[in-house]
Amino acid sequence: MAHLKEVIKADEGEIFDIELEADLLKANEELATKNRELLRKHSVIAIDVMGSIGSGKTTLIEKLVQALKKKHKIAVFKGDLTTTIDAELIGRHGVEVVPINTGKECHLDANLVRKALQKINLEGVDILFIENVGNLICPADFPLGSEKRVVVVSVTEGPYMVIKHPFIFMEADVTVINKKDLAQAMGVNIEKLMADVREINPNVKVMATNCRSGDGVEEVIDALGL
Amino acid sequence: MRLDFKPSFSGADRKMHEFSMTTQIVENVLQEAQKHNAKKVTEVHLIIGELTFLGAEQVRFSYNILVEGTIMQGSKLYIKQKNGVVKCGSCDYEGALMYEDNPMYHVKMPTLRCPKCGGVVNVIGGRECTIKSIRLVT
Repeated sequence: MAHLKEVIKADEGEIFDIELEADLLKANEELATKNRELLRKHSVIAIDVMGSIGSGKTTLIEKLVQALKKKHKIAVFKGDLTTTIDAELIGRHGVEVVPINTGKECHLDANLVRKALQKINLEGVDILFIENVGNLICPADFPLGSEKRVVVVSVTEGPYMVIKHPFIFMEADVTVINKKDLAQAMGVNIEKLMADVREINPNVKVMATNCRSGDGVEEVIDALGL
Repeated sequence: MRLDFKPSFSGADRKMHEFSMTTQIVENVLQEAQKHNAKKVTEVHLIIGELTFLGAEQVRFSYNILVEGTIMQGSKLYIKQKNGVVKCGSCDYEGALMYEDNPMYHVKMPTLRCPKCGGVVNVIGGRECTIKSIRLVT
């Protein structure tokens, strides 16, 4: 037996490389495209509202709903880590609201939106507002299938909020600088904030609002083409 | 002090994001390994685009936690950064994204303005998170 070399067994200890080329963000993008196709098929205009925590995303949506609900059939998806507090706030205005609780996830993704789309009758909707989780970072990586993306920031976040989070403004069609009534108290120059946004994204429409009073909300409606 | 806005360097406020992406990465690799009846995964090669919000360091951190107790434990994770690519809508420029100096704040701010003609550019590359390849032992 001594003259025999070690037995070679097939498929044992073989090392091989596999080219995967699997783009994980692409998977979300593809789902987003499917969402967009579905929404377009039912003539629903979907608007993704992103922005910082406490910047006034929900208040803006409430005001948009109030202004538009007579003319349009509106539905709202409300993303939050947990609770349905904001969803109930919006629901008071008599529109259909689907709360999406992400658990620990810091953003909505196309798959969560796909699931929420199954909960509503799209034939009965003209405009869908999708409120993203409050965050100026991750939502930018995850398109949802909306027609337009709005970013909301507010003057109470200080004068550097825009330049500190430039990439989300690249994704925006409309940027709302909220709480303009507090600009003086905060010592924040709104014109400078607006200029920062335009410098990052020359295509974006920027406006200052006071969403609590409704001041400037008409401009947002115009900018969204609603 | 000069701050740089390339996402790869500003990791302070990204946490959960990488963990969920890395979970997907590990799940994908394990599935693929299972298909080939692999006993061990020894290497994973990733490509992360400059314009994503995925920090290489956080991905690595999550990866080491997630592979524990799986056939990926002990595998080497290679991460290659891919630059952002933009294309101008007005002229023929195709290339890197422009970063503008802002002397007021001492920062470089990314802009969608075309470095060649001042028009507006579209992002055409640098938004990917790709599992390029994996190395298996059967």
